[in-house]
Amino acid sequence: MSRISVEPRAHGGAHVHLGVPVASLAVALLVGAVILAVAGNSAFEAYRTMFDASLNGWTAFSRTLTLATPLILTGLAAAVAFRMKIYNIGGEGQLYLGAIVSSWLALALPADLPKPLMLLVFLVGGALAGAFWASLAAIPRAYLNADEIITTLMLNFIALSLMNYLIFGSMTFWRDPSRQVPGGKKIPESAQLPALSGRLHAGIIIAIVCAVVLWWVLRQTSWGFQLRTIGDSPAAARYAGMSVSLKVLSVLAISGALAGLAGAIEVSGVTKGLEPRSLATDIGFTGIIVAVIARTNPLGVVPVAVFLAAIATSGTALQGIGIQVEVVFLLQGLIFLSVTAGEFFVTNRVSLSRPASTSASGTSTPGSDTAPVVS
Amino acid sequence: MNDTVLVLSIASAIVAGTPILLAALGEIITERSGVMNLGVEGMMLVGGVVGFWAGVNTGSLTLALFLGGMAGVALALVHAVLAVSLRVDQTVSGLSLVIVGGGLSAFLGSSGDPSLLQSPNGLDVNPLFPQSLRDLPAVGPIVFGHDIVVYLAMLATVGAAYFLYRTPSGLSLRAVGEDPAAADAAGLNVVRIRYLATAVGGLGAGVGGAYLTLAVLGTWQNGVTAGLGWIAVALVILAGWRPGLALLGAYVFGGLRGLSFTLQLAEVDVPSDFLAMIPFVAAFIVVVAVSANPKRARRVAAPAALAQPYSREAR
Repeated sequence: MSRISVEPRAHGGAHVHLGVPVASLAVALLVGAVILAVAGNSAFEAYRTMFDASLNGWTAFSRTLTLATPLILTGLAAAVAFRMKIYNIGGEGQLYLGAIVSSWLALALPADLPKPLMLLVFLVGGALAGAFWASLAAIPRAYLNADEIITTLMLNFIALSLMNYLIFGSMTFWRDPSRQVPGGKKIPESAQLPALSGRLHAGIIIAIVCAVVLWWVLRQTSWGFQLRTIGDSPAAARYAGMSVSLKVLSVLAISGALAGLAGAIEVSGVTKGLEPRSLATDIGFTGIIVAVIARTNPLGVVPVAVFLAAIATSGTALQGIGIQVEVVFLLQGLIFLSVTAGEFFVTNRVSLSRPASTSASGTSTPGSDTAPVVS
Repeated sequence: MNDTVLVLSIASAIVAGTPILLAALGEIITERSGVMNLGVEGMMLVGGVVGFWAGVNTGSLTLALFLGGMAGVALALVHAVLAVSLRVDQTVSGLSLVIVGGGLSAFLGSSGDPSLLQSPNGLDVNPLFPQSLRDLPAVGPIVFGHDIVVYLAMLATVGAAYFLYRTPSGLSLRAVGEDPAAADAAGLNVVRIRYLATAVGGLGAGVGGAYLTLAVLGTWQNGVTAGLGWIAVALVILAGWRPGLALLGAYVFGGLRGLSFTLQLAEVDVPSDFLAMIPFVAAFIVVVAVSANPKRARRVAAPAALAQPYSREAR
């Protein structure tokens, strides 16, 4: 008689931190395949189409990288906050604010500004706007302990309505009056990030640099160390003399700035103007999935963002073989769920064990130190 | 006078607030047991798509609400497994419900030919009371003008309050949410109670979602709840985890939701995007204001063990 025993583990090795998420992804894709099969589609054909459309060959892969660019940044935005157990789920709204403010700067500044200067102002402006939008939730969180999950989320809907108003609801500075279908004015060439290959633009380099810098900061600086300490135990951190309020403010400001930067880069490299329909595509929300799968590791965020971007870009190709785009959302949800469940196997060692005693009963005794989950 | 702006807007606020109320009542029960389920938006969506499908295909409101509720329960049980048994972070688990609920409902709603996306109408739900009562001035439309679900939600509010404060089971539930170790020592089955409470939360959200798509909106779209589930989560905090206040709050939010309609009737010209913002601005302000008032914060504190996983071994 054997039974499944569960015991907490303090620190798993690399095989655990890498193996469990990868296994979780596999489980999610398997469950997705079953659902597709039940719905009467060929799962194999669906996955092959998705692979061809997103990863097979440079044209497809560069399209994936283009979408991965903002996802890396919103993933980093969520990761840095989640690491301190500050749940900023307002990446979506912070991204919109970054897009609104940066596109305003590009349209308002003289178009013949030197390109490096224009881009610098443009990107910094977007990041600051994201930080500002996050601070609306950060200040009540730091000083009143107002639930940041609710406040950042409400700010998402507010920012979305604001962006819609600027383009669809009025004739503002942002809107191009000459277009029949409402859309944003095109930003000058000097505010556009240089193209690398096809639609892929230099934003991918900025995103990867941000990931490496954030990884270094979290690993090497006392700020990064304190972040994790506060996340584990705010009371202990306060006792050790750390200012928790200031840390909440700084973390959410950085988190918001990264999401705002994502918005600015998306405008500069892809939409070239304030285009709500293209910007409001859950980039901020997907960043949360990225951060959780990457277990808030900034270097992990990059490959995870590329993977989720691959799934998202292949949605339209699925339509070509008669499968609805919504499969993409289904897979994203399954992956998130599976990885969340997988977290249990990171923090606990689960093994098949035989009872140590000579009694062959195999029944569990309450209060024994190995709690049987399934016996 | 029954078609004045005021009377019509109050009546429509009650209808629009009913899905929020159902979801918030469920979440109150869940959170009172110490489990925080942020996945209300996802459970409403799944309940909404299943309920809409059942309603359109069978024409039965009862069956639609039942199946919608069961879909909500199914998703809630996923959260229970993750949060109660596997003890993963409840915030992350709740968020995963939002995303998987959104994805699954979008997939289901777009499946089949014709899919629910092309299905034009929900169900015509008949008012409960006879025409003579509904024609009474003012109280007619406001008090007697609604369908049965509105009154059932009101009854559920009374039932939830009675259950929490006046029954032994309610006391057990609250004990588990305040101090699971003590409740466990007193012989209560913490895991079982938390599973049940989480399931009730899924039921409320699922039925609320089904009522929303079938009767209130009469349509299915991807992400049709548009933040209502999150409003319900915020409402639980605003109401201080009390059913009675949740009812008031739900109707106020229902009214804010329908404000564009009201102002249109009153011929006031405000950009619709700003009107869409109002419920979220209100929820933001109230969450901050509740936190800023220390006297209130002490009196209506969250359940002490909210969002804390319970493990016998780690006691």
